[in-house]
Amino acid sequence: MGKENKRFPIVIVSIGIAIGLLLAFISTVAVHETSDKNFCGVCHTMEPMVNAYKMDVHGGAGKRGLEVKCVDCHLPHDSVAGYLLAKMQTGFHDIYAQNFYDLSKIDWQEKRKHREHFVYDSACLACHVNLQEATMSNLKAFRGHKAYFSGKTDKKCVSCHENVGHKNLGDHLPKRDMLNSIKEK
Amino acid sequence: MLKKSLVSILASASFVLAANVGDLSSVKTLKVDRDLSDLGKSCVECHAKLTPGHVNDWKESRHGHVGVSCVDCHAVKKDNPMAGQNCKGVQGTHTYVSVLVSPKTCARCHPNEVEEFQQSGHARGAIQVKAKAGMQALIHKFEGRNHPTLSESPSATGCIQCHGAFIEVKDGRPTAETWPNYGIGNVYPDGSVGNCKSCHSGHKFSIEESRKPAACASCHLGPDHPDKEIYDNSMHGHIFNTEGNTWKYDSAPDAWEPGDYRAPTCATCHMSGIGNLKSTHNVSKRLKWNIWAPISKLRDGGYETAATDYMKKGKVTKGNPLAGNPKGSKAARAEMEQVCKSCHSTTHTQNFFKMADKHVELYNTYATDAKKMIDELTKKGLIKKDKWADEAFKTWYHLWHHQGRRMRQGALMGAPDYAHWHGVFELQQDIRVLETIYNKRMKTGKIED
Repeated sequence: MGKENKRFPIVIVSIGIAIGLLLAFISTVAVHETSDKNFCGVCHTMEPMVNAYKMDVHGGAGKRGLEVKCVDCHLPHDSVAGYLLAKMQTGFHDIYAQNFYDLSKIDWQEKRKHREHFVYDSACLACHVNLQEATMSNLKAFRGHKAYFSGKTDKKCVSCHENVGHKNLGDHLPKRDMLNSIKEK
Repeated sequence: MLKKSLVSILASASFVLAANVGDLSSVKTLKVDRDLSDLGKSCVECHAKLTPGHVNDWKESRHGHVGVSCVDCHAVKKDNPMAGQNCKGVQGTHTYVSVLVSPKTCARCHPNEVEEFQQSGHARGAIQVKAKAGMQALIHKFEGRNHPTLSESPSATGCIQCHGAFIEVKDGRPTAETWPNYGIGNVYPDGSVGNCKSCHSGHKFSIEESRKPAACASCHLGPDHPDKEIYDNSMHGHIFNTEGNTWKYDSAPDAWEPGDYRAPTCATCHMSGIGNLKSTHNVSKRLKWNIWAPISKLRDGGYETAATDYMKKGKVTKGNPLAGNPKGSKAARAEMEQVCKSCHSTTHTQNFFKMADKHVELYNTYATDAKKMIDELTKKGLIKKDKWADEAFKTWYHLWHHQGRRMRQGALMGAPDYAHWHGVFELQQDIRVLETIYNKRMKTGKIED
């Protein structure tokens, strides 16, 4: 066996590692870059959501200016695999919808009724970790979330916190009667 | 002179009036701090002067004890269809309020109570009225005479006070045609259905109040479902009326048991967590029959659907007339028997239901025969166009809607006078009246004058 043959596997493995690292780097950047209002707001469809979000505590309008990204609420946070899978699914769906749906026919007011399907409790609780520990010293947090944390209700966070994340979203989206007149035309 | 004496009379009258409010006057300088936000405090302190009755109720409520204040329930987001800033205290601020508080708000702390309620027959109160063309015609055309300005009064003063309304809002205020009302099946502009205040009156929202028969009696009375009178006629009501004022009504949910009382109230049998049962806000869950319907059927249809269909799909439906226990009518009866057996022997319980069920089935034979006659007359064009002027139709209506319900409800709740004199006795009379009209019309082929 020659020297070259001995080195061959090392070279291959090194190249593999380099490509792997590069891909990992690209994916990380991609995942990161496609996660906030700047990316999601590229499509005009999302303008009302982004505008309402900017007025909200979650969108930086709070006292401390803290801003959480779109995906911090709109992707599940229970596992990395689940997170990435949901990101791919919803991402590809949105690309498809943007290109092939009749966007003027989407009743966004109606869609808000299904908010439990696109806002994840695991996401809320990734930040609001202390809520479960609320005690009688914070009566409203304690009483209000008792049924939830003791598993006595199927409600999700957004079942009660309807407007969270997008302040007065209803005022930013087309009103239902407006939408109907568009449909009639 | 006249002016002067009038003023002095008015002044002394208002003084006497003010002196009589008694306890409320002490509220006027109310200062609260504990557990309330700054906004919450300002509401309570200002309304102690403006509407002392509200604040007086609140301070005696559990809400008051745990720091749930006005804005916790009355504040809404700006884009809420009920939102307004009519209150001076919030004008120009970022706070929007509504005089209306929907079950959606109550559900934030009481999710299961609201969900159970929405699975019960109570929840279809207003929705089914809107869905039924016959009811709409009765209210607006026949009772309201299609009057250009007055046709809404029958609904506002009558129907919606028990059934509830589709509440409408103009300029942040509910309309007179739809509010105030204490109806149980209200549909709020925010899309939620129900009304907790029907039984837990504001602003005390007392559990004691809702456990007493009075909470149910404001609607369950009168010729078509005299449940309060039926209760009074029963041995349970007899005991309650004798000594109910000494019983305990504020035990914790699921822990309100015999001993706290010597006889059940409405809430004990239909809702309470007596013995091994769990307390429920689904009042249909322990019912075997639908004894309000023209012909009684077993309640094997699962949960009530009117509220969920409306909230999820925006559909106005007649609801589910067979709503009951999700496990079926047998399970419903088994649960009710469990209630009875907390005080009565098995034989007592089973014998009672055996005969009560027979009375329901006997009613069904009356109703089936009567319905057959009405259907046949209708088919042959022998019912007047204006049904409410037709003797045969009116007799049939009273047969099922009034005396027929009294017969069945009287039997199943142990009220002999209603099972018999106000019930089956009237039915045997009605069926004879109906038979006479039927025979005459079939023979002559004409509607009598």
